[in-house]
Amino acid sequence: MPIRGGGFQRKSKAASQIPTCSMADIAFLLLIFFMVSTAFRTERSRIIAWPVAEATEKIDEKRQNIVHLWIHADGQVWINDQLVPIPQVSNVVAPLYVATDRRLVVAIRGDREAPYRFVDAVQKELQEAGAVRVTFATRLEQMVTREVR
Amino acid sequence: MALLNPKSKVSSDIPDASMADIAFLLLIFFLTTTVFNEEKGLPIVLPEAAEEVAVSQRNVLHIIIQPNGIVEIKRGESVQVQQVRPADVEAIWRQDVAANPNLIAAVKTHPDAPYRFMVDVLDALQSAGAERISLQILEG
Repeated sequence: MPIRGGGFQRKSKAASQIPTCSMADIAFLLLIFFMVSTAFRTERSRIIAWPVAEATEKIDEKRQNIVHLWIHADGQVWINDQLVPIPQVSNVVAPLYVATDRRLVVAIRGDREAPYRFVDAVQKELQEAGAVRVTFATRLEQMVTREVR
Repeated sequence: MALLNPKSKVSSDIPDASMADIAFLLLIFFLTTTVFNEEKGLPIVLPEAAEEVAVSQRNVLHIIIQPNGIVEIKRGESVQVQQVRPADVEAIWRQDVAANPNLIAAVKTHPDAPYRFMVDVLDALQSAGAERISLQILEG
């Protein structure tokens, strides 16, 4: 008579299955972890007409080191949901520059129709505050007429 | 006798065997639908305050942006003015930088010119690989 199990007797009492009853708890735990740890930027987006550019590239900097500076077509400048008169921009940006350990990147989100005098005045204020790393926020052109290099 | 049949086969428990599947489904749904708004743009480093660098006029390509979007190109001290469209700046830069690798693009924008023309020119210059760009306002 052949021996069952090829001579090996299974005496182990340990279950060979992964316990599945706690799987739901694990999944909900993960769900809640991701929900809680997601930090949202509280700043409201402002409505501007974006300029487009083909050379648009991603900013290689941590999110918390980027400050948005909105320039409306009528010359209003908003930083962190606050209307800032242009001569005050350096006073607002300078503490942010220090707080980010001099790694601040100012993303200028200008309206495409904003006269350049406002953009220039803002640039001079940023230079005064020492925040020389600037990005002109643009949208990638939808119609790709030239081939990508 | 009693109207309620105690032998009903319908289970009174909420089925919890599929709870894990539901939770993972939610997890995967939220993971995939989260869109990070990426920061995109044209980077440039402004000169430090009060930093004046004397540059030979030979190495400067003046790019003057007028309010109507016409771009005027002036090479160094030459009085000759070439009127082009913002998109043509790329070809001009490529051609000129091949002749003079030390070339600096001085973008001078008229105060009344819309911001987008400056972005167009900056886009053209960065598309052409220009790194030495100076942004100024047109005076006088």
